[in-house]
Amino acid sequence: MALTITGLSKTYPNGVKALKNLSLTIGNNMFGLLGPNGAGKSTLMRTVATLQDPDSGTIFLDDIDVLKDKNTVRKLLGYLPQEFGVYPKLSALDTLNHLAVLKGVTRSSERKDMVDALLKQTNLWDARKKALHTYSGGMKQRFGIAQALIANPKLIIVDEPTAGLDPAERNRFLNLLSSIASNVTVILSTHIVEDVRELCARMAIISNGEVLLEGAPAESLDALKGRVWSKVVRSDAELLELEKSLQVISTHLLGGLHEVRVFATASPGEGFKSVESGLEDVYFLNLARQAKN
Amino acid sequence: MGQFWEFFSFELKFRLKSLSTYVYFTLWFFLSFFAVAAQDFINIGNDKILLNGPFSNTVLQILFSFFGVLVIAAIFGTSILRDFQRDTYQLIFTKPVSKFAYLGGRWAGSFVTTVFAFSGLLFGETAGTFAPWADHTRIARGHFWWLLQPFLSITCIQIFFAGSLFFCVAALTRKIFVVYLQGVAVFMTYLITSAVFSARRSLEHFWSAIFDPIGLRLLDSIARYWTVSEKNTLLLPWTGIFLYNRLVWSGVGVLALVCVYVFFPISVEALTAVSQGRRAAKARQTESEEPRPGRSLVAGKLPVVHQFFGWRTTWAQFFSLTHLRISNILRELPFWALVAVMVVFALISGHFAGHVNDTNVYPVTFLMVQAVEGDAVLFFLIIGTIYAGELVWRERDTHFDGIHDALPMRESTDWLSKLAALVVVELFLLTVILLCGVLSQTFAGYYHYELFEYFQELYLLTFPSVLMYLLLALFLQTVLSNKFVAHGIVLGVFVMNIVLFNFGWEDTLYLFAYNPPYIYSDMNGYGHFVRAIFWSYTYWLSIAALLGVISIAVALRGTDDSWKDRLRQARARAPGLIPAAAVCVLLAIGSGSWFFYNAHVLNEYLNAKARREIQADYERNFKKYEGIPQPKVIAVDAAIDIFPEKRSFSGSGHFLLQNKTAVPISEIHLVDSEQSVSNVRFDRPFHLVSASPRNFYRIYALQAPLLPGETVNLNFDVGYTSHGFTDGNERPQFAYSGTFFDSGYLPTIGYDSGGELTDPRRRRDAHLGPPSDLPPRGDPVGSRTSLFFSQADWITFRTVVSTSDDQIALAPGYLQRDWHEGGRHYYEYSMGDVKTLDFGAWVSARYAVKAEKYPGANGNVNIEIYHAAAHPYDVDGMIEASKAGLAYYEKNFSPFQFRQFRVLEFPRYRNFAQSFPNTVPYQENWFISRVLSPDDIDYTYFVTAHELAHQWWAHQLIGGRVEGSNMLSESLAEYSALRVMQKKYGDYEMHKFLKHELDGYLRGRSQESHKETPLDLVQREAYVWYQKGSLVLYALSDYIGEDTLNLALHDFLMQYRYANATDSLSVPYPDTRQFVQALRDKTPPELQYYITDAFESIVLYDNKAVSATVTPTADKKFKVVLAVASRKFKADGLGAETPMPLNDYIDIGVFTGKKDHEVPLSLKKEKITQEKQTFEVVVDQMPTRAGIDPYNKLIDRISDDNMIDVTTP
Repeated sequence: MALTITGLSKTYPNGVKALKNLSLTIGNNMFGLLGPNGAGKSTLMRTVATLQDPDSGTIFLDDIDVLKDKNTVRKLLGYLPQEFGVYPKLSALDTLNHLAVLKGVTRSSERKDMVDALLKQTNLWDARKKALHTYSGGMKQRFGIAQALIANPKLIIVDEPTAGLDPAERNRFLNLLSSIASNVTVILSTHIVEDVRELCARMAIISNGEVLLEGAPAESLDALKGRVWSKVVRSDAELLELEKSLQVISTHLLGGLHEVRVFATASPGEGFKSVESGLEDVYFLNLARQAKN
Repeated sequence: MGQFWEFFSFELKFRLKSLSTYVYFTLWFFLSFFAVAAQDFINIGNDKILLNGPFSNTVLQILFSFFGVLVIAAIFGTSILRDFQRDTYQLIFTKPVSKFAYLGGRWAGSFVTTVFAFSGLLFGETAGTFAPWADHTRIARGHFWWLLQPFLSITCIQIFFAGSLFFCVAALTRKIFVVYLQGVAVFMTYLITSAVFSARRSLEHFWSAIFDPIGLRLLDSIARYWTVSEKNTLLLPWTGIFLYNRLVWSGVGVLALVCVYVFFPISVEALTAVSQGRRAAKARQTESEEPRPGRSLVAGKLPVVHQFFGWRTTWAQFFSLTHLRISNILRELPFWALVAVMVVFALISGHFAGHVNDTNVYPVTFLMVQAVEGDAVLFFLIIGTIYAGELVWRERDTHFDGIHDALPMRESTDWLSKLAALVVVELFLLTVILLCGVLSQTFAGYYHYELFEYFQELYLLTFPSVLMYLLLALFLQTVLSNKFVAHGIVLGVFVMNIVLFNFGWEDTLYLFAYNPPYIYSDMNGYGHFVRAIFWSYTYWLSIAALLGVISIAVALRGTDDSWKDRLRQARARAPGLIPAAAVCVLLAIGSGSWFFYNAHVLNEYLNAKARREIQADYERNFKKYEGIPQPKVIAVDAAIDIFPEKRSFSGSGHFLLQNKTAVPISEIHLVDSEQSVSNVRFDRPFHLVSASPRNFYRIYALQAPLLPGETVNLNFDVGYTSHGFTDGNERPQFAYSGTFFDSGYLPTIGYDSGGELTDPRRRRDAHLGPPSDLPPRGDPVGSRTSLFFSQADWITFRTVVSTSDDQIALAPGYLQRDWHEGGRHYYEYSMGDVKTLDFGAWVSARYAVKAEKYPGANGNVNIEIYHAAAHPYDVDGMIEASKAGLAYYEKNFSPFQFRQFRVLEFPRYRNFAQSFPNTVPYQENWFISRVLSPDDIDYTYFVTAHELAHQWWAHQLIGGRVEGSNMLSESLAEYSALRVMQKKYGDYEMHKFLKHELDGYLRGRSQESHKETPLDLVQREAYVWYQKGSLVLYALSDYIGEDTLNLALHDFLMQYRYANATDSLSVPYPDTRQFVQALRDKTPPELQYYITDAFESIVLYDNKAVSATVTPTADKKFKVVLAVASRKFKADGLGAETPMPLNDYIDIGVFTGKKDHEVPLSLKKEKITQEKQTFEVVVDQMPTRAGIDPYNKLIDRISDDNMIDVTTP
């Protein structure tokens, strides 16, 4: 299935322009959405997840008009919101079972198999009978993942799914996601660049409601090959100097000193060495460019 | 101290910044404002009591501080819990804070805040006195102390002790739930104890008043007999019971403060000891599950499932959601707390279902269901309102909405599941109430469970109205963005209905979820009320359902919550909803139109105000004709056909009228108060001169005047037809079974003041001036008019009455013949030559009959009881009472003038028993009375004796239409019945009974809204003619002897009975002058003063036993020295008292046995002349008790200090 987003705009009543004439085409694979806080990722995802209507624009899932035919989309949808709560005093098992019914899994044997499998996959099997509100943050997030995967959804929207997961669980989740991602459209929003690099065939960087870059992570990396330079600076004054004269991508602390990464077609000067470009460089560079414009 | 101020001022600042403080203040402001500005808002007492007088202020402060317990809990409880809810305690208690500063500061800050909030009462009341529409005749100005004293002595002390208690519990448990539970417990305990107390009819006032935390019993104990003038001048004095009470409860407050100071642990470690343990355990458990090494990193495949979407899935979704929502509610502790409180309420009310008007009755199902359901309805609404809010907001409150709203289901499925969950919960509550009812009946030893009736009342009648409120609550919660505002509006709609109704907005069609009132009757079931209820329910359910459909359309889904977005969504959802909305609208319009057609077109729609206006117009326009010469009815003959199934009757009547005045009469005035008379014909040429609207008052001119002594025949058609149904105010006279109407449906000759407005407040509203008094004794017109019926003296009576074949039709008179014709049953009744009052009744119902014969002085008397088959309980008691009454009255007064005495049951739409000639209809409740223990008074027995006595005192002897005459029928009937009771129960039980009569009299006079009259001038004061009348006659029989008094009554009766029965020119009826003279004739000179005091003035005693000591005498006897105090007062009509000199004979008694079970050793009347006097009495046995007027024969406001324990010096 392919998702075609055309000319999406949304302005909130308080004047915030969350989406500005945004267009994207998302194919039948894992799609990463990168962007800083407040970029409009969640607005975009909520809109695709039928929870919000844009002021203008269209969204089509193949030939389904997502904005008009919401119920059809909901049947195909698995959605994990960025933040969510749970019904108090209800166990994971009961809640999943309930959600499975609502998703149309009415054959009880199938429903049981599905719920059990999800509980096992998300490592909640032992805690399945405990009330959800007693879960720790990580467990709750895993529950969120489980509920999003009920009923083999064809369109999976996961908003910051790895937030709050420990590294082991994050890996397991990414594995799980990639194992079901064939023939399914997955939109994964994150500000963790690593998630995208590891998982996504395609990605987009969004900021201030606009698409800054769309493409395959590998292609984007290729475009930067040999153009990222790094230098360790010793003082803030020197850092300020560099910021004025060069296109600084990012700075990192390294043993108390600043490591500066700079974009340049040729060596920007003494002390700089060429480094391998990362997806993070792509991300920061795009944001920095937008900020300048 | 510095720290204290720190906490204190912090608390104050915090409270001053929070909205709730001002909400409370405003709430109190408006409540007390309306209490003064709108006199119907809270009923303080009768019309003469100042709305802002000392008594009203005291009542208001007590009531508001009672309901204010919740506000007190909210302020004091949260002041300390705040630190624990927000975890700020960790910040506070890790600093060096002194316990005194922390607790003291928080407490004092809360106290000041609460006093400030409650001071809204003072300002509101003051503002109320300036409202231009207020009743300024009941407002006094410039009495600041009247306002402040109750506030200080009641409200402030209430805040102190209740607040300290809540503070203590909150600090020591640190759980808000316990604080609320405590509030509920206080509330409940109070209501329960007062319910138990009042149901036991105890006259104990001392300890119950001292330990009354709220003050209602306290007030009752001190001020129960206060007259109007006392209520308008006296405040509760800071002495005696009131002082003790305030000290006791202030002490409780102090104790609570000491407790909290001693036991409050001021360290984080101690404070969190419990929760720490629990939380830590939970954390440990969670952590232990986190790391799970050894799992494969390869993700397994998820199984493939099939999704189905169709109506089956919609149902499955609906059930799953409903199930989820129900379990949401059922897993909440507060829900169960509410249910528990409801059950306690229901069981308590259920326990007292068998007590109606101070009598024990069988807890039949209609009484039981009414009792258990009464308070519970409030719980249904509260629970419904609260959980409607919780369910509508649940997903948003728990932040589950992101997941929930993106699920593939319809908005209607989701919304309807919320409704369904609430419906299931409400049905559960109704079933709990049903079980409470059945349980209470079982406890009461009544095993006739009418489950179908429970079902009808609870599930068919109560449930739909609850459903309407559920839909309203869901609608408001959906439309409004604030849960609590919506709660407030639901409550507001509920209260508004009551307020609007009281202000004359009474139409079912615009009062939300309202239905015309109905009364269940065992004779009739829900009878003719069913149609009005059905259509009003259909109407309001359709409207409520429409609100539901609208709610579905605009229900929030997703994150767009602006109205623009919601309306856009609503348009998208509309296609599926429009058919449902259309059905609702059509149903509402259809049922509303049908209701309107019935209530407004088929029947004249009148609200209470319009009805009063008709009464006022009647008086304004026609009062001028009162007393003009009119002929009297001397014979009545009527043919009446009753059609019970149509609630109608038709027929024709004939009056023989005679001019018994000395002047010719050319105009005849005819009053048709029931709008039932038509086709009026006289047997001489006549014409209609004028007719008022609704034909209430018609004046006919006779071509040839009716000369003195001459007679004229008046023929008329009579009938009443029920059309459709009305919006309340159905005529109670007509029922499918239990038709009962009286001569009021026949024409009345001449102006009858019985139709005038009597409530002084209503008269003022109508600019009518004070209610007119009966004329003085000797008034030329009044004394020639019969007390009850101005149009006739004595008549001969004959009637033919028919009804449907399955019913029995009855009217006064002896059955001449009965026959069946055209599927109807005809009866002919005639009194023959026996003259009766013009007081006919026509009755028809399905009856079971029990008959017995009593050998009377003039041959056999047939005693017949006509009762509903479901009510066999009292039939034998009625027969027994009739026999006992006949025996006593024939022996002491005169022979019974009739050959039959019949008691008939009628439906409980009206509440009375009334004595027609040889025919006495009783309301249903008298047929289910129950005697639980041998020394309980059987009230039906008493009522039967009383109504039978009226066959003498009214149906033989009747006074003129002048002041005082009412006592001749009522006081004498009451006294006669007391004598029959005394023969059955003995003197000891009578003493208890008379004490209740005394209590009734004293309470009655404290409620007097006009002025109290002496017995011989009584106007309309029922407590004078019943309670005082029976008390003083009983006391007189004690002074002069039962036989002497009865002889006086016999002589009086024989001399004056049947006055005007045979005269063709009216002569005066007897009045209380002749009656009092008859008593004086048989009373020795030294006791004449008692006649003057008891019958001709208002006299009260204050008798008291001061001390009693006993010493053995030489001859092995016991000498008691008894000091007594005695005072006597004369009161005026408003209750102002002046002392009187003493020269009275009063009982001095010495007793053995315990308190309340005394056996007399010596009882003698002594002459009392001094305020303090000492008596020496020598008795044979060791005495235990002694006193003055020990049997409370005299009227004494403090009746329980007349006796005292005898001590050895």
